[in-house]
Amino acid sequence: MLTKKGKYGLKALVHLSRLPVGQLAFVNDIATGNNIPKKFLDAILGELRNAGFVQSRKGKEGGYRLARPADEIKVGHVVRVLDGPLAPIPCASRTQYQRCEDCNEATCQVRHLMLEVRQAIAEVLDQRSLAEMRDMAVDDLPVVVKVQA
Amino acid sequence: MTGRANSIIIVGGGASGVVMAAHLLKSPNPDLRVTLIEKRPHFGQGIAYSTLLSAHVLNVSAAGMSAYADDPGNFWRWLLERGLATSDQAPVYAPRSLYARYLKELLDELETRERETGRLRLIREESLSITPTTSGVEVALANGTSVVAHLAVLATGHDEEPAQGHAIRMGSEADTALAPDSRVMVLGTGLSMVDAFLSLEQRGHSGDIVAVSRRGLLPSPHRKGNPIKLDVADIPLGTQLSYFVGWFRDLIKQNQKAGIDWRDVVDGLRPFNQKIWQNWPASAKRRFVEHTKAWWDIHRHRMAPEVYARVTEAVQTGRIRLVAGRVADIARNGDFTVQVQSRHTQVLETFEVARIYDCSGIVRDISTSSNSVVRSLVDRGLARPDPLRIGLDVSANCEIIAGDGGVSAKILAVGPLTRGTFFEIDAIPDIRVQCARLSKRLLG
Repeated sequence: MLTKKGKYGLKALVHLSRLPVGQLAFVNDIATGNNIPKKFLDAILGELRNAGFVQSRKGKEGGYRLARPADEIKVGHVVRVLDGPLAPIPCASRTQYQRCEDCNEATCQVRHLMLEVRQAIAEVLDQRSLAEMRDMAVDDLPVVVKVQA
Repeated sequence: MTGRANSIIIVGGGASGVVMAAHLLKSPNPDLRVTLIEKRPHFGQGIAYSTLLSAHVLNVSAAGMSAYADDPGNFWRWLLERGLATSDQAPVYAPRSLYARYLKELLDELETRERETGRLRLIREESLSITPTTSGVEVALANGTSVVAHLAVLATGHDEEPAQGHAIRMGSEADTALAPDSRVMVLGTGLSMVDAFLSLEQRGHSGDIVAVSRRGLLPSPHRKGNPIKLDVADIPLGTQLSYFVGWFRDLIKQNQKAGIDWRDVVDGLRPFNQKIWQNWPASAKRRFVEHTKAWWDIHRHRMAPEVYARVTEAVQTGRIRLVAGRVADIARNGDFTVQVQSRHTQVLETFEVARIYDCSGIVRDISTSSNSVVRSLVDRGLARPDPLRIGLDVSANCEIIAGDGGVSAKILAVGPLTRGTFFEIDAIPDIRVQCARLSKRLLG
């Protein structure tokens, strides 16, 4: 499941994607603008920098900006970095597998179905770019209405 | 279906051309016309499978070498049926000449089967150029004639670029007889160097071999195993290279702790290699090619255990000397005086050698390709090199991208030419999947 960390990270990136190319944002502005605890945001932005999604500059004029265009960064890329393997429940992961204490993974039908669900999650999140997600927020009309209009 | 392209010319009748033809001809469409053009006297050989040396074995075990994506056991059964392997054998690394025979027989069978339908035509001639026309494409041949079709698929494989400077290609005309005890230098320490060593042994050469590459790394041997199971949901995509490498190293460490061989982790990643590559930013791709690829290659592109044993023995006895460094200077004085600067100490070392073989396998700029079809496409702006200049720029659907960025609906490419987009597309297990997908897209 998407954790708070994943959600905050995506919000911060959407915030950065709204800025003119190259312009830096202060961490404080991102935090207050999106209702994210500042200390947590610092840690999240640090991880996003290590993965190559944002760049930072230190000092009074410092801050963060996207390391590459928002249409190149896919939502799934970001979620894997912040939350680990995409998985609806902890046992439905092959690299970060966490055994459920109360069931047998070999015969658990729930796990089998959830392994399928994670493929579907990956398919959706790896298709959608940060730019698409940003533009969705501006226009919350249902897709059907837009097509008819 | 009306309007669907059903006449297709495949330029290049080496392994990837034959595999492409075989997949197209799986279509039941009676109007399909496939023309396969090859300049060499034999189809199905190309550069890779034209060696007659029995020590030159496949670098992939027979179980992985079927020509058909949906029938992975095809080559293995072919070997069993002819008594060339037995079912209880450990992984079999068949001679490449045998693989050429497999592809030839496969094509012969197709030719026989399609004789009455007229769906397959083989042309032994060099192709000079491809030109788009209003209704399709025209391929000009060296004999002055041309062939037309709706589509052309480039399957020209590896470039036969001439060697650079004083170095020569093994087996080329310049590769004349040598005194058996003379010392030679090989530029490169990868699988091509191994091939060169085996060829020299076969010729009775007994002199020292100095093999030089930037890192001086020898490819690893295969070992029987089971690739670990991964899903795309497990794999970090689209990150910077260092992040991905860190993740992958950790994954190997974790698995090794559980007693799993690193090969099974490397091989477990294989189904996702193209996806990983395609999701990387341009900077990660460039860094990978410059810094990480040499390490990746020796772990990913391995050799048969028997070959590895021969090579490592030669290294241990001093017959082969692996040098990590770069050639700083070559002086000709009858023989060659080569100065190599060590990667680690920066110290120059001088070697007197009778011959220098180019086994560097470096992919050079495609716009200077020795293949006239490829070069003429680039010269006329109908194609362009990919951003890394390791192949032609193609779409994820194998369509050639023109100099102005326009995607061609009529000229496609498969195999090593498409490595800028498909990354690892040199080996049959990957090429056959690419050909199967393209056939399905073209013919349904």
